[in-house]
Amino acid sequence: MHITLKAISALLSYPSEELQQAVGEIAGALADDARLPAASIEALGPLLEELSKLDIYDLQERYVGLFDRSRSLSLNLFEHVHGESRERGGAMVELLETYRAAGFEPATSELPDHLPVLLEFLAMRPLSEAQEVLEDAAHILEALRVRLERRASPYGAVFAALLDFAGAGADDAAVAELLAREEDDPDDLDALDAVWEESEVTFGPDPNAGCPQLRDMLAAMDTPINPAPDTAPGTAAPAAAE
Amino acid sequence: MSQLLDRLNFFQPRELDRFADGHGRTTNENRDWEDTYRNRWRHDKVVRSTHGVNCTGSCSWKIYVKSGIVTWETQQTDYPRTRPDLPDHEPRGCARGASYSWYLYSANRVKTPLVRGRLLKAWRRMRATMSPVAAWKALQEDPVLRESYVKTRGKGGFVRAGWDEVTEIIAAANAYTVKTWGPDRVFGFSPIPAMSMVSYAAGSRYLSLLGGVCMSFYDWYCDLPPSSPMTWGEQTDVPESADWYNAGFLLLWGSNVPQTRTPDAHFYTEARYRGTKSAVISPDYSEAAKFADIWLNPKQGTDSALALAMGHVILREFHLDRQVPYFEDYTRKYSDFPMLVKLEERDGRLIPGRFLRADDLSGKLGEKNNAQWKTVAWDSASNGLVAPNGSIGYRWGEGGEWNLEERARGRDTELKISFILEEDHDDVVGVDFPYFGGQATGNFVKCDHPDVLTKNVPVKKIRVGRREILVATVFDLLCANYGLDRGLGGDWVASDYGQDIPFTPAWAEKITGVSAERIATVAREFALNAEKTEGRSMVILGAGLNHWYHMDMNYRGIINMLVMCGCVGKSGGGWSHYVGQEKLRPQTGWQPLAFALDWNRPPRHMNSTSAWYAHTDQWRYEQVSAGEILSPTAPEGDWDASLIDYNIRAERMGWLPSAPQLKTNPLEVAKAAKKAGKDIPEYVAEQLKSGELEMSCEDPDAPENWPRNLFVWRSNLLGSSGKGHEYFLKHLLGTDHGVMGKDLGEEGGQMPKEAKWHDEAPRGKLDLLVTIDFRMSTTAVYSDIVLPTASWYEKDDLNTSDMHPFIHPLQAAVDPAYESRSDWEIFKAIARKFSEVAPEILGVETDIVQLPLLHDTPMEVAQDTVRDWKKGECELIPGKTAPNYIAVERDYPNLYKKFTSVGPLLDKLGNGGKGINWNTEAEVEHLRALNGAVRDEGLAQGRPKLETAIDAAEMILMLAPETNGEVAVKAWKELEKATGREHAHLAAVKEDEKIRFRDIAAQPRKIISSPTWSGIESEKVCYNAGYTNVHELIPWRTLTGRQQLYQDHLWMRAFGEGFCTWRPPVDLKTIEGKVSESGPHVVLNFITPHQKWGIHSTYSDNLLMLTLNRGGPVVWLSEDDAKTAGIVDNDWVEVYNSNGALTARAVVSQRMKPGTLYMYHAQEKIVNTPGSEKTGLRGGIHNSVTRATLKPTHMIGGYAQQSYGFNYYGTVGSNRDEFVILRKMNKVDWLDQPAKTEA
Repeated sequence: MHITLKAISALLSYPSEELQQAVGEIAGALADDARLPAASIEALGPLLEELSKLDIYDLQERYVGLFDRSRSLSLNLFEHVHGESRERGGAMVELLETYRAAGFEPATSELPDHLPVLLEFLAMRPLSEAQEVLEDAAHILEALRVRLERRASPYGAVFAALLDFAGAGADDAAVAELLAREEDDPDDLDALDAVWEESEVTFGPDPNAGCPQLRDMLAAMDTPINPAPDTAPGTAAPAAAE
Repeated sequence: MSQLLDRLNFFQPRELDRFADGHGRTTNENRDWEDTYRNRWRHDKVVRSTHGVNCTGSCSWKIYVKSGIVTWETQQTDYPRTRPDLPDHEPRGCARGASYSWYLYSANRVKTPLVRGRLLKAWRRMRATMSPVAAWKALQEDPVLRESYVKTRGKGGFVRAGWDEVTEIIAAANAYTVKTWGPDRVFGFSPIPAMSMVSYAAGSRYLSLLGGVCMSFYDWYCDLPPSSPMTWGEQTDVPESADWYNAGFLLLWGSNVPQTRTPDAHFYTEARYRGTKSAVISPDYSEAAKFADIWLNPKQGTDSALALAMGHVILREFHLDRQVPYFEDYTRKYSDFPMLVKLEERDGRLIPGRFLRADDLSGKLGEKNNAQWKTVAWDSASNGLVAPNGSIGYRWGEGGEWNLEERARGRDTELKISFILEEDHDDVVGVDFPYFGGQATGNFVKCDHPDVLTKNVPVKKIRVGRREILVATVFDLLCANYGLDRGLGGDWVASDYGQDIPFTPAWAEKITGVSAERIATVAREFALNAEKTEGRSMVILGAGLNHWYHMDMNYRGIINMLVMCGCVGKSGGGWSHYVGQEKLRPQTGWQPLAFALDWNRPPRHMNSTSAWYAHTDQWRYEQVSAGEILSPTAPEGDWDASLIDYNIRAERMGWLPSAPQLKTNPLEVAKAAKKAGKDIPEYVAEQLKSGELEMSCEDPDAPENWPRNLFVWRSNLLGSSGKGHEYFLKHLLGTDHGVMGKDLGEEGGQMPKEAKWHDEAPRGKLDLLVTIDFRMSTTAVYSDIVLPTASWYEKDDLNTSDMHPFIHPLQAAVDPAYESRSDWEIFKAIARKFSEVAPEILGVETDIVQLPLLHDTPMEVAQDTVRDWKKGECELIPGKTAPNYIAVERDYPNLYKKFTSVGPLLDKLGNGGKGINWNTEAEVEHLRALNGAVRDEGLAQGRPKLETAIDAAEMILMLAPETNGEVAVKAWKELEKATGREHAHLAAVKEDEKIRFRDIAAQPRKIISSPTWSGIESEKVCYNAGYTNVHELIPWRTLTGRQQLYQDHLWMRAFGEGFCTWRPPVDLKTIEGKVSESGPHVVLNFITPHQKWGIHSTYSDNLLMLTLNRGGPVVWLSEDDAKTAGIVDNDWVEVYNSNGALTARAVVSQRMKPGTLYMYHAQEKIVNTPGSEKTGLRGGIHNSVTRATLKPTHMIGGYAQQSYGFNYYGTVGSNRDEFVILRKMNKVDWLDQPAKTEA
């Protein structure tokens, strides 16, 4: 078992007195992990300190406020991938089947995509698999880290540690997209406007000066029929079906 | 998977076959790629369920489940077929329902029980050393501790708790409250049971066993049209949507069918294909307007002027200048047109008075029973006065003549509608009618006609002893009221539509802005179609008309048109009121479950509008005085009182219910009565008279009279329906609020005479607010405890609507997510915990329930005159001149056992509704066989079990005539005793049919005809209201037994509403004094229609629905108004008045009529809402700028159809007369810093 992942799973769970008492043990486990740079362990200090010292009600109130009540900080990973879309049910089914294929049956009221659940599962898997899964989720973890740090929350360090453990850098573009798209608590009005603004539609005799949607559509249709060699896999599939 | 090796790069496959005239061809290429799609749509099971949301859609859905997770849903298409030449119901559904599986796993879902952190911390500290009840007592009796969590309501700070702990807190709070203050201090609010009737019943059953208060909703939502009980004695009964197809002329009036009745709108489209003509009346260019052959756009709120002018045209062309035989025949048999009205003298002038009763005449026309409740008409056959069959006097204390046969005392009659002919009248006299058009608020048109219009009416003189009574028919008075010249001379009547006389089309044009010609055209075509088709003209009407203070006038104006044209009770015709008109089809089967009538009767019911008006202290800010709305022709009386005073009088006289009821804990009153050795009613009457006991309503701010515990379930009271939102926050909850006005004490104004005034108003009356929801709504955010409930794909329940005739289920397709539980299981758990916790302080107690004079019971003929016992005008007789006081035994330690079993009162007292009662022992026996009997020892041993939600559903289905043919036949036979006619044939063909939960899980079932409703379920006609009145001659449940266009109660006449008239919106005075604006702004009339992107607040926080709209709160205004205020589309604006403020983006649209501001309800402040500059608080919701204002005529009771019934009659929460200031926001502040919560 990768004790680090198990420890992080515990840190991201709803604070309990049991967790408070286990802080020393968790700190020890993390310090022993060679994959975590010193800075990363040090950054976890404030959270560990608070978990062991603060009043349990304050910790719980904060946790509910952050992770239960803020959509943009949801620990259900598919909230950030699929949101309230139909794809979410299917994705959760797949994840559940992955757990079952590995011989585990979830015994929790949390959904399969809850991060502490996933981390506990990964803690029991080969390192390479764990790292691969975390790498896939790196952009979400990074986005959560950025948001938590914006709120000056000590929980941000947990995500930093997780990324260090995975040894993965997040794809900046993906992170940026996530951060832009999921703003639900914006400081910046212009950014909010940009999210909701639609392109202006004008009509007239000159199609290029006219409807921009149409212009874009025409431009797309002008693309050569034989795609460039670096086209993403899958886009050629419809041709095969003809 | 690569397909390079499967694919031919250099050849085309040889053709194997061609088909479809060469358009199709068979190939043999690889089709593995299709598996991707097959797998995508693969599932383990499909479960039938629906969305228990307040929309009357009641659409059955297929829920697809894979590995225990809901993956998607599609519409069911298996509704039972209709019949040839009528479109089927399927498919039903809309974009909102189709997005529900996306909502199920939303991050906004409540996952675990949540408790305010400070509350839980204090609780655990107390609980470490004390019992649960003692812990709650200690917490409540320490003002600092109590305030520490009360003041943080709405400011976050929740922690998770386990079910066991959280139910213990609730149980302890309830027990403490029952013991300390009384059971009627525990309130519960949940609306619209029809959408998930078991979930509703779970909470109301618990409350009813406890003695708590179930609060009404239909009236509070202002969806109840009081005109329906006034006219028909019927809460609301309407045609199913399929019947639109049978109409020849469809008038849509203030209703937006494609937007708000999406699943039914196809019948409207299909009717248009069939050739039905349609007119749409709507101030804005609504989605419905595009269906119209003719679109009329009156100024908002002037609909009664329009309806009166149309009535003027119909009377002129179809009743006076030419008499349509069908209309004459219909109105003689089915309306009060022939009934006689006494003309009463006031200051030497004549005004329409009470209906003439048999009691007024020497010899009483031979009537010994209820002569004062038998109305009188002139019979041409005998050329004398008769008391025709069917009036309410025949309903009680005798049997066999309560019917609409044209008979009186066994003889055939032919009633006279008019005395217009020379030989029929003895005189022509001037009669005074009030006219209110001279005053108007805001930018509504004022007319310069006098406030009393005297018009000539033909009368008969009747000698009674030495006195002479002048009487006129309702029809003759009605014609005078409508301003029709009948050649009788005198003023204020018109012979030409172009004259500016109330209520001609030319007059209406001035007020509504619709041309006189178009008004006349629509009226004429409406009536002409009804003449040719014998009543197939229909009006679909809704919130656009009903949410005004004077909604009765809008509605009665339209109802009058329908009655004049013989449309009510006719297939394809009639009154289709579609707003909030839920229909709990198996109602009489559900009531025993919901209100625990199987264990004790009566339950405590309260009309919410009056309750919230008092308990949120909105009355302390009331600016409308009774004097402003009183009629200039009002009879002598003490009319100069505040609106709350009227409500107090109504409660005192037994007209309206009270909650709480007595200032002293009823458990203590019962003990004192026992000690004094007196009967409870006698003791209470004595103590009330002496002043030892006080009614709670007289002092709503005294701590003894506060509501202490409030359950909100299946509802978003604070985020959606709470008119006067900011007053709720200020006084009921005691947290930050945006009220900007001052109360009457500070501001000055008419002070109440009867309500006790405290200079300092209480803040934070509630000890505990518990919300049960699946999502974190605004109400949840303000609660002390939030319980996660199972969503609509996670529980078993029943669902019906009035828009289609089927009953179908909600089912648990998957287990409740996270820690959630169904409402049934939640209240069961609270009941169990209560029975554990309560015995410390509560045993078997005697409670005293105060019961108002109820409709459909003999009490509805209690008060033919208005007398107040407190003023010494009569004796205090419980159940006659005052509410009844009834002892009810509460076995608190056994509450859980009662909750989970069917009690013995059903065997003993039977079951019933709407004035009939039948033996139901056989059904209880069947239930015992079906659900099993309770085995545990104790008082429930051997009773049928009610363990699961399905057990509860079976109880409803077994007991209700609508779902059990045997019961239906029994019910009809009971009704036969009253009417003396045969009705059982309506259900006889279905006598053997019994619908079970598993039946409707397989397919929706059509219900069985029952006397609970006024229409029938048949293979020949669609369901339509009033059908059995017209075709079975069952009287309407009114004073006259007919559709009643004249209202003769003293208060109706005092407020000038004996007949329908034009009443402009009232001036609520919320933009005066300190609330004003110096910068660019505009003052607009604030309207809150139903939206497209949600059902009330549900779905409105769903990202997909937000994306279809603008992603947050918006208000709509016209281009002209936007220009005045310097606003462009999408600007952030602030909207405010003395009630509070809200923030939203502006939608500037040509669709809007200048002078109006629309804010679709209900847009909550939990999504993309910045802070208000005025209040410094987050946004506000649409109800931040509203406040409820009561209307005295809605308080009338003990008077035939104007008697109280839960959600049937009572004050309503109107909100459309409101004006607001709108201005552009200077600075948009998202308030994204944590709130300061000093303890």
